[in-house]
Amino acid sequence: MYNARMRTHLGLVILCVLSAARVCSSTSAPESPRKFDCRSREKETFSCWWEPGSDGGLPTEYRLFYTQERLREVRECPDYVSAGANSCFFDKKHTSIWAEYTMTVVATNALGNASEEFRITDVMEYVKPDPPVNVTVVVNSSAPSPFLEIRWKSPPDVDVRTGWVTLKYELRVKQNDSKEWKTVDIGSETFFNFYNVYPGLLYMAQVRCKLDHGKWSEWSNTIFAEIPKNHQVEKYFWIFVFVFSLIPLLMGIYILLLKRNVVKQCLLPPVPGPKIKGLNAHLLKSGRSEDVVNALMGNQNFPPVAAWTEQVEDFLLVSDSDEWLLTDSFASEKNKDIFIIPAGLHLGLEIQCRDLSVDLNTWEKTDDSKEEAKSNFLNMEPINLPVEKHEFLNGEEMSIQPLANTSYVDIQQHPTLTDYSRVKEVNDNTILILNEEEIPHGLDAEEVKSEVSVPDDYSRVKEVNSDVVFLEKGDSADGCCKKKEDHYTDWTNQKPIMPLESELSKGFCLKMIASGYVDSGPAFSVK
Amino acid sequence: MQQKSEKRQLGQRRNRLRTCRTDKRTMAQRRISGGKLFITVVYLVAMCRAVPVNDLLDRASQRSDKMHSLSTLLTQEMDSHFPPYGRMQMPRPADCHTSALQTPNDKEQALQVSESDLMSLARSLLQAWVDPLAVLSTSAITLPHPSKSSISSKIQELQEHSKSLADGLDILSGKMGPSAQAISFLPYTGGTDLGQDRVTILNKFNFLLSCLRRDSHKIDSFLKVLRCRAAKLQPELC
Repeated sequence: MYNARMRTHLGLVILCVLSAARVCSSTSAPESPRKFDCRSREKETFSCWWEPGSDGGLPTEYRLFYTQERLREVRECPDYVSAGANSCFFDKKHTSIWAEYTMTVVATNALGNASEEFRITDVMEYVKPDPPVNVTVVVNSSAPSPFLEIRWKSPPDVDVRTGWVTLKYELRVKQNDSKEWKTVDIGSETFFNFYNVYPGLLYMAQVRCKLDHGKWSEWSNTIFAEIPKNHQVEKYFWIFVFVFSLIPLLMGIYILLLKRNVVKQCLLPPVPGPKIKGLNAHLLKSGRSEDVVNALMGNQNFPPVAAWTEQVEDFLLVSDSDEWLLTDSFASEKNKDIFIIPAGLHLGLEIQCRDLSVDLNTWEKTDDSKEEAKSNFLNMEPINLPVEKHEFLNGEEMSIQPLANTSYVDIQQHPTLTDYSRVKEVNDNTILILNEEEIPHGLDAEEVKSEVSVPDDYSRVKEVNSDVVFLEKGDSADGCCKKKEDHYTDWTNQKPIMPLESELSKGFCLKMIASGYVDSGPAFSVK
Repeated sequence: MQQKSEKRQLGQRRNRLRTCRTDKRTMAQRRISGGKLFITVVYLVAMCRAVPVNDLLDRASQRSDKMHSLSTLLTQEMDSHFPPYGRMQMPRPADCHTSALQTPNDKEQALQVSESDLMSLARSLLQAWVDPLAVLSTSAITLPHPSKSSISSKIQELQEHSKSLADGLDILSGKMGPSAQAISFLPYTGGTDLGQDRVTILNKFNFLLSCLRRDSHKIDSFLKVLRCRAAKLQPELC
């Protein structure tokens, strides 16, 4: 019997222990709730939530007690239901703005309780309104550009009419395929005209609001709007562009017509005709073909001559002393064209061929040109031309005027000049050797045309061939001067010797041909 | 000698400023010498032509809105770099020097208060913050906080707004009757020094800013309620 009692006691104890062990392993007093958060939607009510801790396996009850700053008493939460589970909703009567709340949440179960205190300094810190409602968008397609009319309404329950609450809105718009929103601060109005839209695109818009500098609400529902493509506007646009581009075109044509001469000159400048020195264009135009040919080619009796330019250095020997000339066997052997100039004569000047249009007739008659040639040789028509500088040689002045468009030299002599040389000898080729004897004849620079009273001091030209050598500066000549090719070539081999003191900066050859055409050879410098 | 006289003048000027605060006559002097465009324009316009009260209230509420915005930004800026040391250890809002003032705490109460009382409350609160703002301003320069320059500039802006709003409300209250002109005296007893060590200074700064935020919101709310009430003919204002 004693054993049976012991056994039952033992069994009970074991049972108790077991049961107690079972209870201890799965149930306990609840943990205190964690995380406390509140929210006020309209500055009139607010609600708070807590996160419950472990409930210890037993049904746990949560209660909230609060005290207010002003109130001494402790109150319990008036509404555990409206705001959901584990929440407390404070209605208007129980809500005090600018007052501090001290909340105590107590978790109670069969085994115990746990509590946590939370402090809310100011309900205003937890104000977060609902998003705006009734957001609508209308596309306004009026000129000049379409825009979006976006309207919305303040969230419900927010009392804006009494001024208790101030709402500020924010709008954001973006294209459907774009990533970036364009945000606009609205203020307190409930509409906005958004202009930054383009036809043919789809746009989406959202609005949110803020209460009294609190937290922003969530964004409202997205609304979509598509801007229609405005074909009419495009048509008008292209017509406009076409008309406006036509006006400058017409103006350009008009100006072109007005100034067509100027334009023609500008675009198609007149091509300059060929200019050959010594050739008179008028002659070519007006003259007979024979004259032209004569002018170009000279006497038909003449065989054609090679180009002048090949024989450049051949011609000229100028000296004012006849010694070298006479002693120069080479020179005397051949028929050279030598022109000896008085010492004072400075031929460093520009002497150009003169157009012989005036004297063409005289020159044509070669047979009778003895005197004329003489006269022409000795005395040339003066032409008023600018006198260039010349050097002083032996204290005498000579001035040679360059003649523009002339084909022979006009040697002007001052009246005082008397330094002509005598022509002692005239070879076949008309080598004129002028001495340095004074020729008292003041040969004026005037025309002596037909008959010249030649003073005694002058040599008489016995014979004047067709080759009369003049000195002239380098004009290009045709083949007239190159009648004797071989001796020209001989001359090229030699260097011309000019022992004269007179400086002839340039030597030149001028051939006056009976045909009247005066040629000039290229110059070579002679010293 | 010149320096001494200048110093004396400066000292005299300082003394004058100190006594100015509570003296109504010197308040008027300060008003004129302040030279704010707002006050001169309002005054002149009021003399020449009666500016409607609606307009004045609108301007006043805009200024109070700006003040509240600034104080909110200030608290956020303080919290961003220096979270409160512990909400439990911070001084309670009941310890604010303006908590003694009985103000409406919800909408119903606020809507029941008369306009004169609302104006009086607003003016009292505004007046109560003149001294503390000065203390905050001087302390902000040497505040051990990374964004002290931004904080300092905001506090200075707050001071300016506060002064001009006070002047405007003086004029408004003159139009509203004697009860609107009564100001409750709420002295600041915190002294000119916020503390010795960094923690104390920052805590006190934080606490003052939170009190300021609350009071600026009160002022703003009261003025906006007043504005809506006065604009019965212009419902679009509200």
